[in-house]
Amino acid sequence: MSKNYIRLESKANLENIASIRVCVATFLSELDIHIDELMDIKTALSEAVTNAIDHAYDEESLENKIIVETEVEDDGEIKIKVKDFGKGIEDISLAMTPAYTTKPENEHAGMGFTIMESFMDEIIVDSTVNEGTTIFLTKKIRKRKSNV
Amino acid sequence: MKYNYENGKLVIYLEEELDISSCKVIRGVIDGYIMKYQPYELVLDLSGVKFMDSSGIGLIIGRYNLIKLLDSKMTVVNAADNIRRVIELSNIKLECVRYE
Repeated sequence: MSKNYIRLESKANLENIASIRVCVATFLSELDIHIDELMDIKTALSEAVTNAIDHAYDEESLENKIIVETEVEDDGEIKIKVKDFGKGIEDISLAMTPAYTTKPENEHAGMGFTIMESFMDEIIVDSTVNEGTTIFLTKKIRKRKSNV
Repeated sequence: MKYNYENGKLVIYLEEELDISSCKVIRGVIDGYIMKYQPYELVLDLSGVKFMDSSGIGLIIGRYNLIKLLDSKMTVVNAADNIRRVIELSNIKLECVRYE
């Protein structure tokens, strides 16, 4: 497979998460990838985008945006970058602790990073307070639909 | 969202995609049914759910806590494989989850 990418820019709106998920999943479904791995990537992406929209911005504004870039390498490695320009994460390791949430009243399970870590091969979080956060997710395709 | 209430048992058939956006709406509707019927048992049937992320886990835990206040029991049934993988990562009490 040859190198390919898709780049999405969206208003940081919770209603847009479903559209972003569907768009990236459709892009990836063109690859020789098994549905189980595709679903895992879709779930990890949903967590990253939910974090970027729900946690990065406190007040609603058309200026609030997120960028999602999905890249496929020649060797079948998938790289997803989710970038926001919001308030940033003060303590990244605390934020990544399973079941830790800043919003228990909204019934957040605090499982977002745990799911990203479990379903992807690698996760890197780069955050600067008051500038924004970028999450890098990578996963190598292992299960091919053609082999099933 | 369909539901069925019979002999103290409330079954709720969840559908489509459970993410932060849909869960915000759905939890209010489910809690409305729980308060109305005060069931002895709540069953969340996930057979119609195509996608679920950690917001769905929050939804399940939230309903479980409410049902415990009523001293009732809750089960989660018919989760597809991809949803099962999400549930298994959480600390949801496994005795309430059945895969059929």
